[in-house]
Amino acid sequence: MLSNLLPLGTRDEFGRRAATKQQLIAVIQAHFKQRGLAPIATPLLENQAVFDPYQMGNYQLYRLLDTEGQTLVLRPDMTLPIARFLSATKVPLPQKFGYVGDIFRVSRRLSGSYNQITQAGVELVGYASLKAELECLAIANQLSAELIDDAVEIELGSAPFAQQVVASLTTDSEQQTAIKTALFNKQIPQYTALIAAYQDQPIYPFLQQWPRLFGQPKQIFQRLAQAPLPETVTKWIDELKTVVTWMQTTMPDQAVSIDLSSQAPQKYYTGLTFRGFSQAGAGYLFSGGRYDQLLANFQTKSEPAVGMGLDVDLLTELALNTTVTTPKQVIYFNPDQWTQAEQVLATQPQATLSLAADRAGAIIEAQQLGAALIDLTEGTSDAN
Amino acid sequence: MPTKRLKIALTKGRVEKQVLPLLEQAGIDCDLVRHKQRRLIFDSETQPYEFILAKGPDVTTFLERGAADIGIVGSDILVEHQSTQYELLDLGIGECQFVLASTQDFDPKAPRRKIIGTKYPLITKRYFDRLGQDVEIIKIEGSVELAPLTGLADAIVDITETGTTIRENHLQIYDYLQPVSTRLVVNRLALKQQANAIYDLVDRLADVVNANAKKEVMPS
Repeated sequence: MLSNLLPLGTRDEFGRRAATKQQLIAVIQAHFKQRGLAPIATPLLENQAVFDPYQMGNYQLYRLLDTEGQTLVLRPDMTLPIARFLSATKVPLPQKFGYVGDIFRVSRRLSGSYNQITQAGVELVGYASLKAELECLAIANQLSAELIDDAVEIELGSAPFAQQVVASLTTDSEQQTAIKTALFNKQIPQYTALIAAYQDQPIYPFLQQWPRLFGQPKQIFQRLAQAPLPETVTKWIDELKTVVTWMQTTMPDQAVSIDLSSQAPQKYYTGLTFRGFSQAGAGYLFSGGRYDQLLANFQTKSEPAVGMGLDVDLLTELALNTTVTTPKQVIYFNPDQWTQAEQVLATQPQATLSLAADRAGAIIEAQQLGAALIDLTEGTSDAN
Repeated sequence: MPTKRLKIALTKGRVEKQVLPLLEQAGIDCDLVRHKQRRLIFDSETQPYEFILAKGPDVTTFLERGAADIGIVGSDILVEHQSTQYELLDLGIGECQFVLASTQDFDPKAPRRKIIGTKYPLITKRYFDRLGQDVEIIKIEGSVELAPLTGLADAIVDITETGTTIRENHLQIYDYLQPVSTRLVVNRLALKQQANAIYDLVDRLADVVNANAKKEVMPS
């Protein structure tokens, strides 16, 4: 086997893509710093047990054995390691964290997916108030505008909503799970067959329409008002109404929608959820929500928390599609012109110093980069 | 904002032949696809749809990667390839059945680890898992019926429409697994990005499927 082959699902990043991604990360980190989020970095390797609450979907974990035979994994998620960190260190709460790092998920072989994904995110831990969700939404709104040109739609959901509705239909937990699975995956033939058992109940017309319960908030709230839903969902609908009203007041240009027919981004979410997408993107740009029970996986006491992750690779793809690159310049100079070269470098948005030993070398360098040559040696004796 | 054209990945071959009349009944001009010659992609400025012809497993890949908004593909392939996209409509065509088949001397209850040939290792594994049996699965790409006849496998798991091919190869059916039919599948994000256009197509096709089903029940 050749020694210079990459493992499946990985890639090198260089040139324009790497520069764009680093630029986005710099903007995200500056935004986090400006909002007073504490930076946090956890190891790439964790004990497998850390991710017991994680829903892998169609992905698998990269697993390794340590010297004592314990199973370690390359982290597939950033939130659970932070929960593990908080539990282990007893850092006083509340805390606001911001992070950027890589996660690893083994996708289906030869599917064109990458297994190493860069994610940025926010974790607001120890906050029970809705203000934590609102700060995440404010960050999502502001970062979307800073990072990409496309309009981003924020879609709100409620993790407990579906469970509360199916629990009002039947106490059979297998039946509840079957209905939710068919609903969330919009497997309409199976879903239709499953809800047929409730066609004599007043809620049946709602069940029939439930897979399409997403769209503009006004329409969704109207449809909810007409449905004979259990009392238990009222608080979640009221919460959605509060957040929509706040968004329409605080960020009137932000497109917002509601989806009560989809699964929460992770099974550990316990309250409001949110995701963002643009018309051009092939996936969700960010997703998050409230997860008040997550720390209970590591300690007896649970802590309220809200988190959000941004897909930096997808943001990079979108930025690459829209970013217009300015012409590059290569600055060629004699060693005694270093100060002058630095001054020119500081005034050019995308220039680099030529380190070629002579002018001929600088010309080749500029040609390879597709850049214009700024020759500071003109009229002087050339350096050799 | 101008609406994007919906990209539909259609499984070429038998599914394509069966689906085109449905699409036309739903008011979609399929003339370009009908006169395709050797082309695989069909786009017209005058239509809101762009068609791609692909093999079934590739339809799921196009959908998963967001390279197509809608896929029309058999449920056998969706299950085997663990599709995570939205399955909005059973088109009621391409109906067939997964079966366990073998030669006449095959004993399904024989107390030994069986060797099973199939194009569908995941579906086969799930079937035998449900039975609590550990089997050796051999992946075969085509002419699966050969496996028990040549001694490569004890039995096969495959799909059959009428059972004719199985009978003609002197095999018999020992069990029926899940039924199969052609489904309309939608990329998860595309449904959010283009909900109205997608549901318009789905509803029109659903009307056609229901009308055809009624015709079958009440022949004139």
